[in-house]
Amino acid sequence: MSRRRIIIDTDPGVDDAAAIFLALASPELDLAGISVVAGNVGLAASVKNACKLVALAGRRDVPVYAGAAGPLIRDQVFGKYAHIGSFADTLVPETDHGPQAVSSVRFIAEEALKAASKGRRITICAIGPLTNIALALRLAPNVAQGIERIVMMGGAFASLGHRTPWSEFNVHADPHAAEIVWNSGVPLVLMPLDVTFQALFTEEDFRGFEAKGSPCGSALAALLRTYDRSDIKRFGRPGGAIHDAMTIAWLLQPDLFSGKEMAIGVTLCGPTAGQTWADFYGKSDRRPNALVMSGVDERGYRELVVERIAGLALTSGEREIDA
Amino acid sequence: MTALPIIIDCDPGIDDSIALLAAFVSPELDVVAITPVAGNQPIERTLRNALQICELGGRTDIPVHAGCHRPLLREPIYGQFHGETGLGNTDLPLPAKQAEAKGAVEFLIDRLGEAAQTGKRITLCCLGPMTNIAMALRISPGIASGIERIVMMGGAYREPGNRTMTSEFNMLVDPHAAHIVFSSGIPIVALSLDATHQVILTPDHVSAFAEISGRISRQLADLMAFWDRNQAERYGSRGGPLHDPLVIAWLLAPQLFETRRARIFIEHESELCMGQTIADWFGKSGLEPNADIATHVDAEGVIALFLERFSRYRARSAA
Repeated sequence: MSRRRIIIDTDPGVDDAAAIFLALASPELDLAGISVVAGNVGLAASVKNACKLVALAGRRDVPVYAGAAGPLIRDQVFGKYAHIGSFADTLVPETDHGPQAVSSVRFIAEEALKAASKGRRITICAIGPLTNIALALRLAPNVAQGIERIVMMGGAFASLGHRTPWSEFNVHADPHAAEIVWNSGVPLVLMPLDVTFQALFTEEDFRGFEAKGSPCGSALAALLRTYDRSDIKRFGRPGGAIHDAMTIAWLLQPDLFSGKEMAIGVTLCGPTAGQTWADFYGKSDRRPNALVMSGVDERGYRELVVERIAGLALTSGEREIDA
Repeated sequence: MTALPIIIDCDPGIDDSIALLAAFVSPELDVVAITPVAGNQPIERTLRNALQICELGGRTDIPVHAGCHRPLLREPIYGQFHGETGLGNTDLPLPAKQAEAKGAVEFLIDRLGEAAQTGKRITLCCLGPMTNIAMALRISPGIASGIERIVMMGGAYREPGNRTMTSEFNMLVDPHAAHIVFSSGIPIVALSLDATHQVILTPDHVSAFAEISGRISRQLADLMAFWDRNQAERYGSRGGPLHDPLVIAWLLAPQLFETRRARIFIEHESELCMGQTIADWFGKSGLEPNADIATHVDAEGVIALFLERFSRYRARSAA
């Protein structure tokens, strides 16, 4: 089986950490690199976090790139958990591992151009604001041709927003970048809050992450306990969402999800900037530009995430500790 | 005298070409590179035109880096007054000179980054939509400190627009890019329609240029003749406004210009006024000025300056 080559574009971020770990734990995926963007936290903290995560997984061979420090046009906003900054060393150990010299934007563009010329296109899992990817698409006209698909966590359609009443964070943080990427012609799979809010992780899952002694599973459990994502008023039951890992899960087991092709768009300005719309019922004359997910097999998703991450870096992690 | 290092970011374009040809024979200016962008014409043509003009001017030593193929967000629009090739009816051979392998955005990041490190800052001349520099600033914000200033042709403050009611072409093509530049803190000198509409290149001027410009005489006259808007009710006479060359004129002879400091803004949200530039003449915004806006130009002085410069092509042909 040929492994699918992917880039993770990310602003780690707790649920970003779950996505990165899930990808690293999945032999079906060939992770070309992690392109970091400012989002949940500032760029420097995001880069630090990405480096800590790959180092903990014993995967310093996966290059980390630093990208855009802020959105294209609008003023910068950070995530609800911006105060996290870089993960405390007590949660994810310190590392001297650092990012590459070249920018995320150039990395994405060059990977895509290489992929286009080889005829083996790359998949991008976009789990932060889309600033890096938008800039890469504008660098050269052929960049889009090298991208097989963008699997994005973002938007809120049937669901209400979480960063503001009307908007999901990744889109809200850079709506202009979303406008560029969503209209680029690159096939898009979208995991909006509509679906990510359907799978809630509880203490039982956290214990599952730790069960086999994986350093990554333990770190993720610690992060999830420290930054409690549960919202019983909103969900009506205990537990919190791990949004970003759904993009990786879809690549591994697409049949866990259900959705439909439709036209989607974003409001760029005015009081509801960052609001996303989806044409569920064909009311617009816009052609579908995204496969929008609306349902998930909650149990299947949780089992996939927990089982894979619980088994991550068991041997290589021990080897690092021995050394 | 050390020459002022400049990068010319442009979309040739007839008036861009006149500006380039003037810069080529000005030893006060060290043209480090030319970075064409999509604007008056699609990128394939602005790139080809820049290469052709380098060859015409005998400056094949200047590296040319191909820039962005389209604006950041808005759909591309192109110029209306530059003919099919972008250079009017001017007949130029296909260029032998090639663009550099490195794209304009990467070049700007690398070269301005180096300038930021060494402190030997570069003046950036923006004669077209500002997509290239906006991209570079968003990818590598640190390059701002490698830019001495941006001398730009674009905008319309007290004048109405030239592409829409409110908006000058370069600004309308990529208002988001202009917003990024205007918000960057980089000092700006703005040659807007307020200034360029004061310098009309009349048919008499064209004849005078044709007479003195030696070996490029025929091509320069063709470029300039095509530029005649034939719209006396707007410009006061036959001829066309000398937009982009004013950037070079300001670098060579700033005493020919009166400027006024103000904060400049651009509308990038409203469809009606998209691309409109606004100057805060009276400190209403509460923000510091970011630009020196040319308000008055000694038009005769500018024409005399360029006549003297273009006469140097006579000497060059003799050489």
